[in-house]
Amino acid sequence: MIRYFRKRRKSLSHFLLQLIIGLLLVSGLLGAEKTTLHLWHPMPAPSRAVLNELVAEYERMNPDISVHLLYKENEEVRMAYMSATGFTEGGPDLLYGPSDFTGALVEMNIVKPLEDFFTEDELSEFDPKGLTWYQGHLYQIGDELGNHLALVYNKRLFAEVGLDRPPESMQELIEYGKKLTLDKDGDGVVDQYGLVWNFTEPFFFMPFYASYGGWVMDEDQNPTLNNDAAVKAFEFVRDMRDVHGIIPIECDYDIADSKFNTGAAGMLINGAWSWAKYMESPHVDFGLAVLPINNETGLFPAPMIATKGYYMNPYLEGEREQQVVELMKFLTGADAQFQYASRLATIPTRLEVRERPQIAEDPVIMTSIEQVSRGRAMPISPQMRAIWDAMRPAYQNVLGGSMTPEEGAVYQQEIAVQKVAELFEGQDVDQDAVNISAIIVYLAGLLLAIWALYKLFVAFILPLVRGIPGVQVQESRFGVLMVAPAAIFIFGVVVYPFFYNLVISFSNMGLTTVNDWRIIGLSQYGKVLTDSQFYHFFLRTVIWTVVNVVLHVIFGVMLALLLNRPLPGKGIIRVLLILPWAVPSYITALTWRGMFNIDYGAVNIILNKFFGVEPISWLIDPTNAFIATIITNVWLGIPFMMIIALGGLQSIPQELYEAASIDGATAWQQFKKITLPLLKPVMIPAITLGIVWTFNNINVVWLVSNGGQPGDQTHILVSFVYRAAFNLYRYGYAAAFSFMIFIMLALFSVKFMQKNKATETAY
Amino acid sequence: MKKTSKLQYFMIYAALFMAVAWSIYPILRVITISIRPGDNLLTESLSIIPEDWTFDNYIKLFTDHPFGTWIWNSILVTATVMLTGVTLASTAGYALSRFRFPGREASLFSLLVTQMFPATMLLLPLFIMLSSLHLINTYLGLIVIYSSTALPFCVWSMKGYYDTIPYSLEEAARIDGASRFMAFYKIILPLASPALVITALFSFMSAWTEYIVAAQVLWYEDMFTLPIGLKSFQANMTTEWGLYAAGAMIVSIPAIALFLFLTKYLIGGLTLGSVKG
Repeated sequence: MIRYFRKRRKSLSHFLLQLIIGLLLVSGLLGAEKTTLHLWHPMPAPSRAVLNELVAEYERMNPDISVHLLYKENEEVRMAYMSATGFTEGGPDLLYGPSDFTGALVEMNIVKPLEDFFTEDELSEFDPKGLTWYQGHLYQIGDELGNHLALVYNKRLFAEVGLDRPPESMQELIEYGKKLTLDKDGDGVVDQYGLVWNFTEPFFFMPFYASYGGWVMDEDQNPTLNNDAAVKAFEFVRDMRDVHGIIPIECDYDIADSKFNTGAAGMLINGAWSWAKYMESPHVDFGLAVLPINNETGLFPAPMIATKGYYMNPYLEGEREQQVVELMKFLTGADAQFQYASRLATIPTRLEVRERPQIAEDPVIMTSIEQVSRGRAMPISPQMRAIWDAMRPAYQNVLGGSMTPEEGAVYQQEIAVQKVAELFEGQDVDQDAVNISAIIVYLAGLLLAIWALYKLFVAFILPLVRGIPGVQVQESRFGVLMVAPAAIFIFGVVVYPFFYNLVISFSNMGLTTVNDWRIIGLSQYGKVLTDSQFYHFFLRTVIWTVVNVVLHVIFGVMLALLLNRPLPGKGIIRVLLILPWAVPSYITALTWRGMFNIDYGAVNIILNKFFGVEPISWLIDPTNAFIATIITNVWLGIPFMMIIALGGLQSIPQELYEAASIDGATAWQQFKKITLPLLKPVMIPAITLGIVWTFNNINVVWLVSNGGQPGDQTHILVSFVYRAAFNLYRYGYAAAFSFMIFIMLALFSVKFMQKNKATETAY
Repeated sequence: MKKTSKLQYFMIYAALFMAVAWSIYPILRVITISIRPGDNLLTESLSIIPEDWTFDNYIKLFTDHPFGTWIWNSILVTATVMLTGVTLASTAGYALSRFRFPGREASLFSLLVTQMFPATMLLLPLFIMLSSLHLINTYLGLIVIYSSTALPFCVWSMKGYYDTIPYSLEEAARIDGASRFMAFYKIILPLASPALVITALFSFMSAWTEYIVAAQVLWYEDMFTLPIGLKSFQANMTTEWGLYAAGAMIVSIPAIALFLFLTKYLIGGLTLGSVKG
């Protein structure tokens, strides 16, 4: 560079050029000096505020570093990190999360061991529970011990019934619960419950299971779910509802949260993350206690404790790696932890911070620490995920009455063993068979690609060059050129993901084989087709699709016909009818879930007031829950079909009706002979796509049934494959499953379109 | 159509009233959540306006969060998608309706096929693809994906509508000396305005409320589109319901405005019939 500069120094223009380049270089260096570190985290809003301040302070102290934070919800941050780091070697520098991420991250090889970055002295400053070791390596540095459940109670409501302290045993818990369960206005409906909590979720059941001496897995990570403790704990929770009547019949997280927060429940079992909200509530005089001892066994309930802390990206190197370590040390440092603890009553992992007077004397933290001392660490091996997925349906079936506690215990063990096996499937593959099937698959792929290219050539390139027989060259060129942009756009996006899934569906890709998966042939398809659940949920999906689409079309066309005439106030009615499409469905679907609540939901109240119907348990009974999801989806889908039909009606000439009227045709005849046939060309594409979308509509099912509840029975195929395969990292199986869905839909659509001659024109 | 009698009017209004009540009640519940203090999703009261109602959540959206930026970002992305959707679908739909070329049936069908694969399974490869094309953290990546998801329906819908417009119209124009494209642009396109409205609405909505892909592509808070911004109020078990609902209502306002504006053209009162008859 310098030599070049000397040679040409005479020329002014070159000098100027050099100057500009020089300036650019300098500014480039200045820019490069500032490193941006990325941190992804699932912190709820209050902790997020603290994190923001800490990061701002760090940036002030280190002007050459900027830290970029990205919030994602717990599961989403895990999945986003896995795709970004596991599949593209990118992703954030640091990941914050609970310790139960560890097992899966290690199995997928996407987390860096940390023991070399810390001296033994440094590590000794932490509570050992705050450091997550797995298979001999340190993977997570915690800044908080958390997620433990404890008993929150409302002192005001306690005082109203003459209680002055929290219950100290399970027996007392039930007695207190009875005192606090009140029908204040005497209308036969309970207005205040003694105890609420998200009792349908196994995580919130764990303390009770442990209080009967049970635990989820043994030392070798084998599930231990079929025992007396499980049966007794099932009975205990069920009796609280059915015998003692101190908890609502239906209670998920949001119901429990809303009831306690508005002063409509005396006690609540909830985790450390939630307490801050209740401390601020005007309806709650906050009290916190440890979960009371089980009189029968003399054991304390043991909630699960998760360390929350930082994981490091494995692809970091050199200086950047050092910078990330420094940042991590700052964020898990004493001052940072003090901030969180003093403001949010979290339990610091640094022992020194715990001893500072402001922390040590905080009553909430004291109780919290006591509760943690009685808890047990959440297992961090990936098996835990399979166990949750097995416990959930069993437990919910017991609560729903379709299984006895004994059957529930047997069932959850059986499913857990099966799911753990599935989690580690695909490790023992026969090498010879693998090689042969790989060759076959690649050959088939090659042939397919050649065939597709040939077809493409005949369909598009040839008409472009030579024209179509019977049509002028110019004309055919015009046609192809008009289709091409859209086609390139669509297929440019779709082709890679499609073939990626096709290849994966022939492979053994799973949790332990993400990095070294192999083509194994058709065995994933075999597994899909031999699973009886596939057919069960297929039938359900067909019912779901048919009912939904039929109702969408009938109501949509009906409303369009009503609106397709001169009518005062039509404009405003039309917009009001379109609203379900305009408001984001991720909130309205949840609202519908609330409206299906057994006691307070609008649906039951309206049915009861106007039609005298007894309260229906919409969300507890599997069939009713399925109907509830259908009702919600019908509500969501009508506006779309209405708009399509309104558009279609515009293409029908009025003269046809006039002529028909003169010939004496009735309104019904006119509808059948004129409206329907002429509406068809516009409606058929919408109906076909409506069927496809409804068939694969995971969102509504997931939101209304809260992920398939009760007991994973309210699924359609796509939500089932998400729960049973994708969620357990069974990528190969999930891809094969999805291809089966795809093939079925494609076959159906061909038939449907041919039958309705949708590609033909009406004239 | 025969004149509507008074009784018929009454019946029509009664039916429409019921439909409107059914359609807006759940949305009124969302509004209730948004003006209720204290972050509660559920309530035991049926009243729409709570006693202690407040607009705090709406104010907080703009003071504590870059909500204005998110709105702008969303408008930018959605407008581009809408424009792309309308342009490409109106042309491709026309060709598919009017020309008989060898790949026609296959094209029509393969458009549908792209909608059939469960979307959850496409996310990972889409992410890998975008990241190897360096389209992560760009709106381009988002716009391309949104357009390609909206287009298949739009093309079909345009094609279906063109099918109902008789050839005689273009032929007349061609005889008068108009080029193939001018006949399409000047004669057919205006007649297809109901379908254009549907196409515009559909491509708008598919981009406006989408968050799953957006959450994969955009990593910077000041680049967020509205739906991901909205999702940041939602957390596993600690959702800020008030903000979430208020945000959802604000998200719907531009959508409603667009509906109001466009549905005028949906019922365009075009005189198609005189030519057809």
